[in-house]
Amino acid sequence: MKHHFVTASLVSLLAAAPALAHYGMIIPNDPMISQEDGRSVALTMSFSHPFEMDGMMLDTPVAFAVTHEGTTTDLLGSLQSATVMDEQGYTLDYPLERPGTYVFSMVPQPYWEPAEDAFIIHYTKTYVTAYGDDEGWDAELGLKTEIVPLTKPFGLWEHNVFQGIVKMDGAPVPYAEVEVEFFNDGVGATVPDELMITQTVKADADGVFTYAAPSDGWWGFAALNTADYTLTEEGSGEDKAVELGAVIWVHFEEWTGQ
Amino acid sequence: MDWPVIKALALASIVIAAPIGAAAHQLVVFASVECEVVTVEAKFSNGRVTQKGDVRVLDGENNLLTTLQLEKDGTALVPLDSVDHSSGLLIEVDTGGHDNYWIVTPEDIAKKCGS
Repeated sequence: MKHHFVTASLVSLLAAAPALAHYGMIIPNDPMISQEDGRSVALTMSFSHPFEMDGMMLDTPVAFAVTHEGTTTDLLGSLQSATVMDEQGYTLDYPLERPGTYVFSMVPQPYWEPAEDAFIIHYTKTYVTAYGDDEGWDAELGLKTEIVPLTKPFGLWEHNVFQGIVKMDGAPVPYAEVEVEFFNDGVGATVPDELMITQTVKADADGVFTYAAPSDGWWGFAALNTADYTLTEEGSGEDKAVELGAVIWVHFEEWTGQ
Repeated sequence: MDWPVIKALALASIVIAAPIGAAAHQLVVFASVECEVVTVEAKFSNGRVTQKGDVRVLDGENNLLTTLQLEKDGTALVPLDSVDHSSGLLIEVDTGGHDNYWIVTPEDIAKKCGS
């Protein structure tokens, strides 16, 4: 069930605004692959403003990997260049040899965002379960920053809550700010106010945040923190701040009851 | 019998068995092919190994080919030369309170046997 309103023109106007939320994205064709679905998962990687479906250049990532049953496999060399939301992105068809949860993760190159006078690095991940086995759904990868799920990050009904812990260098981030945005792919959702394109929740003192999705579909959670280091911007030669994003994509399913 | 028919048979089997399997934790059944043998694995969704259960191996015509017992480690071995696998295999595991299935397609076997 979807409840969307207000005009598309407003969204069009907003698209020109500079301060839109950026998201690294790993979107599988299905977060729950059954044996009837085949023996592989098709992934699409991008960098975008997902509500506006506004793509940005995703350079070759620094790292792209899958973690399954505690083993991490480098997949960077398997990525296929593709156009996603009219910009450079990547795809990958990955064979699922065994049941369990596969965690796909991506570390992109720093993205220079002049409007924010900062670099952006989104450590992005998505959990995919294969063949009815959800073991490993709460896996922590040990990324520089990541959202560790407290709620199983697949098999959720719309309106369920999703909870996660924001971590930086393995430690919870108290009161971390988490931006939440809907991937508006083929849905045509509109908003009554620009503030609702990207919603924001704060974690508690233990780094735990909670969000209830109003609709089925893919929802991106980005916990944003400033790095304790800077990077040099080539144009100016100045050192600039670096925004570190811990991004997780979670799919909510349409309620099929009455 | 082709792959969709096997799938239909499997689904029909599941529908019939559904009331039996209505428990909080599910039975996860998987089978991997190593060319000479199919290794059947069963565990519960809570991670516990299924230590006891019947394994029924059927062909694409829904003919029962063989019946095995799970070992205590939750596995069973099906030598491929012991069954007619030309139309694929439907492998059912039934613990008495839970059941599920895995379909080994002809493509699964061909891929592992390099043909």
